[in-house]
Amino acid sequence: MLESVAVTMMRKARHSLVAMTAAAALLGGCATGDTGAAEVWDPIETPNRFMFSINRVVDIIALRPVAVIYRDWVPEPAQKSVRNLLDNLGEPVTAINEVVQGEPHRAATTMARFLVNSTIGVAGLFDVATKLGLERTKEDMGKTIGLYAGVEPENGGFYLMLPAIGPSNARDGTGLMIDYLVDPFRILTFNLAIDWTAYQAARYGMNVIDYRSRTIFALDDLEKNSVDYYAALRSAYTQNRAELIRQRREKTDTKAELERRDNLALVR
Amino acid sequence: MSLVAFRRLALRLAVGAAVALFSVAASAADAGSTVDTVAKQVIDIIKTKTGADRQAAIRQIMQANFDLPYMGQAALGTHWNQATEAQRTRFLAAVETAEARAYSERFGQYSGQTLSVGKVTARANGVSVVDSRLNQTTGQPIKLEWELRDRGQGLRITDVKVEGVSLLMTRRSDFNSYIQSNGGTVEPLIKELEARAAR
Repeated sequence: MLESVAVTMMRKARHSLVAMTAAAALLGGCATGDTGAAEVWDPIETPNRFMFSINRVVDIIALRPVAVIYRDWVPEPAQKSVRNLLDNLGEPVTAINEVVQGEPHRAATTMARFLVNSTIGVAGLFDVATKLGLERTKEDMGKTIGLYAGVEPENGGFYLMLPAIGPSNARDGTGLMIDYLVDPFRILTFNLAIDWTAYQAARYGMNVIDYRSRTIFALDDLEKNSVDYYAALRSAYTQNRAELIRQRREKTDTKAELERRDNLALVR
Repeated sequence: MSLVAFRRLALRLAVGAAVALFSVAASAADAGSTVDTVAKQVIDIIKTKTGADRQAAIRQIMQANFDLPYMGQAALGTHWNQATEAQRTRFLAAVETAEARAYSERFGQYSGQTLSVGKVTARANGVSVVDSRLNQTTGQPIKLEWELRDRGQGLRITDVKVEGVSLLMTRRSDFNSYIQSNGGTVEPLIKELEARAAR
């Protein structure tokens, strides 16, 4: 049983590698000479804005109120445990990404965290691993593709407004899909032929509420202080993701980053 | 080359390097201390003042330490050149009010945050980049990067990056998009900003 799971995982991993290389090649092809200062590439702005307005309606009437209640009424320790639990379920995907990123040591640390927290940490409710000095890292396939894409990390392909999930782009959208496909927990439920749909739905739902509750402050601020919220969010999202990818590229790109700052096409 | 001449050359090189290092270090230290002072002043204001008082105090600090004309010009991008002198003045005034209000509301109640200034990088083009961390009482520290420029009035802050998100770039994107969807001129944007400032 376990073997078959491992084989499936490996096959999936190989598939995802191929898909990732293809995605990277696609991304590498677009928008050369981008200094990162140019506007975000948004060829499907009209449908994106349409999706954005739907998302905002859902957010205003459902998601944000729930997130506010969650943030203000649920006791802090409970929120922390939920966070730990969700983080723990996400560790295998992070480990897979770290392997693909060529960071076996970090992947090993992540897996050690997963094992420690799943057992001593009571199914991930308590983050014992951090207290033991195993630092938490969070990786996703969008960042992994960005690491290898060989373009400015501001260039993530076309901008994409996803339903419910929100701002994304070709790179991060592809990454999200691959992360979903290689997620061992999803594959496990599939292979064991157990109907865990309810659990899975609860997990994704909780992830959304938890994430929204932690972005209330920043998004409210951005909305209030912008004249075109869609454009401001598009810029902020792109910059933030680029920063995360730049951190992964490490020292090799410090020079490029400084040059980019010099090249910013600002009026002088 | 004789040993004495070689020694003299080596000495000159060493002195030259030391002088160069010292001058870079001096301007770097300036940038770091500017950021540190501004942070301390702002924290002090948040602790002691509220409402309109706070907004006025924050505005004063911004006028003294930020290069607001530069930031406004950069945020407007190529549209700056199309704007008349009167429009530019109105635009800068409205942006200043908006930013001062945004900052004074953003901080809310003081809850023990401190700013620790880290590495300062001086760039050849006169821009100094100051890395810093905003330490919170709960949760992860927030990464803040400051860009300082000297355009003849001493070192002034021209941009703040929060977790990699440049406030200037975001503003620029925001303004440009608004201008494009409102006829491509700056007038509607200035009117909107003035209306918001008057609220």
